[in-house]
Amino acid sequence: MCRVLGYLGEPVSLRQVLFDTDSSLVAQSYSPRMMNTFLNLAGFGMAAWEPQSARPEEPFVYRTTMVPTFDRNLRGLARKLEPTCLIAHVRGVTYGERELVGASNLHPFRFPGTQVTLAHNGHLREFRRMRFELIKHILPEFAEMIEGTTDSEWIYALVLSQLDDPSGCPEADELAQATMGALRVLRDVRALERIDVSSPVNLFVTTGESLVVTRFSYDYGWYPPEDTMLEIDLPYVSLWYTVGGRYAEHDGEHSMVDDGSVRSLLIASEPLTIDVSTWREVPEYSMITAWRTAGALEYELLDLVV
Amino acid sequence: MYEPVGVGLLATSPLFEGLPASDLVDLARVVRRRSVSAGDVLWHQGTAAKGMAIIIEGRVAVALRLPGDRTVDLAEVGPGETLGELPLIDGGPHSATARVTEAGSMLFLSRADFVAFLSRPGPVACVLWRGFVGVATARLRRQLAYLGDSLGPPPSGRAAAGPAPTPAQLEFTGPPDSRYIRRMANFRAFEPLALWGFLTRGRYARVERGQTLEEEGGPATGLYVVINGGVERVVIRGDRRIRVGLAGPGRAFGYEGLIDGEPAPSTAIARERALLLVLSPDAFARLFQGDIDESLVFLDVITRDAAAWLRQALRPQARLATGPIA
Repeated sequence: MCRVLGYLGEPVSLRQVLFDTDSSLVAQSYSPRMMNTFLNLAGFGMAAWEPQSARPEEPFVYRTTMVPTFDRNLRGLARKLEPTCLIAHVRGVTYGERELVGASNLHPFRFPGTQVTLAHNGHLREFRRMRFELIKHILPEFAEMIEGTTDSEWIYALVLSQLDDPSGCPEADELAQATMGALRVLRDVRALERIDVSSPVNLFVTTGESLVVTRFSYDYGWYPPEDTMLEIDLPYVSLWYTVGGRYAEHDGEHSMVDDGSVRSLLIASEPLTIDVSTWREVPEYSMITAWRTAGALEYELLDLVV
Repeated sequence: MYEPVGVGLLATSPLFEGLPASDLVDLARVVRRRSVSAGDVLWHQGTAAKGMAIIIEGRVAVALRLPGDRTVDLAEVGPGETLGELPLIDGGPHSATARVTEAGSMLFLSRADFVAFLSRPGPVACVLWRGFVGVATARLRRQLAYLGDSLGPPPSGRAAAGPAPTPAQLEFTGPPDSRYIRRMANFRAFEPLALWGFLTRGRYARVERGQTLEEEGGPATGLYVVINGGVERVVIRGDRRIRVGLAGPGRAFGYEGLIDGEPAPSTAIARERALLLVLSPDAFARLFQGDIDESLVFLDVITRDAAAWLRQALRPQARLATGPIA
């Protein structure tokens, strides 16, 4: 299992959300508060969009298998960057010899020539069995770009394959529809393969201009016998968000500044602060979609029936 | 500031109702009386809890901080009432801020002393859990009513979720693998025989996704423990609803009315196909009122469960823009 952070809004200090808060994303790699018996030490990745940078439509992408709290390069970058959109991910894997910890398995995923980026918190049980059917729903040009061994990269290729123009920059609504479409394909393939055990799919999908995040699980509460992930998956995979003007530090507290307008959305597997009173829990089985408007941000939370 | 307290003061609290006199004397030795002034903050929301308070004199306002620098006044409590018991049950942080509005005095019971007291031999733990689950149930009802009021007038006629079956109408099946049950966090700590004694007091039923299992305003038909799947509790007013939370494996619902005799405070609908342990009202009463090992497991489980529901009902609710009820 992993921890993920998504952000869309006013420029935000990368150092603040990755390192400074008392339950920052990097802290969640070695000390997650809402996930017992599991650490997220299999690597870090992020895609950060900065309007002032060259080619602002392209994110700054950084991935490393190093434990991020010891990564001085990342700390240095975090002091400099203030993105207006961000997906950052710390990867957790089971402690088994079959797990592959490597650069090709690090989130977020972004294939060359596309403008959609995706990170995943969760796992599809029996995924190996699903691939033979799943490949039929993935465009060949994306199928051959899959480099790693994760289910997440396949889900990413599936989302891209649902878009009318996979190399274009979809609006928020189309991105949400593509995400829903991918979830429906996964549902159908699971049914075909008679897979009916818990498989959480908290997805973070963005173009830099809009953000779609799901809190969802197939067959929540059902597990195979002797399952090694049971203790992790008994609680529904968590997801929290906070909205407001901008995320900032004031009086020693990190929180979303409420100035009467919604211009920023921060969404994460766990709140970035131990004090959760400025955060809301995203309901189970739901999808949150956010997009920029003139000087503001709009967002919508929908019950997700797949 | 601190001075010893008499047994009589403790005996007035419903939390300790039924506790033998000798245990009350021992409890009085560890509980401390403290004077408070108007404006004193007993604790802040989100801070680690050291203990709970029982008000002797004075009043305390309980407020919830919400996103957007907003605050909601949850309650103002006075003499004889308790506050701060939620963290005592589950070890979590304080769920709200408590501020003294009228000077007085109160008793403080630390969590360390509470935990030590629970481990005493005899029926002490069962009596305490019964007191705590009663208080948690009353609080949960109040909060669910508040959530319902925020949606509009109370329901008239049949609820939008459809009728709930009686336990006799459910499709019963065999018990699950005990190794699976013992891996659940709620059950891991118990002695295997006592746990199995509790788990075999009821019958196991399979329900399909979308099945209404409890109807707000309806009678309590039994206690349900989710073994597999997920059941969501919702408050419904017309076509509007608030999802209070999702009960996954190990969580329970349906027992509030069995404890206090009142109608169900919310509606429960299977969000996933589910396997449930179903306890009849009679089986519930025997376990709830008993002081055998199975009762201790049972009371521990439902007290912690009531605390979890209360925390879920108190969390800031994200409103869903649209969505079917089932």
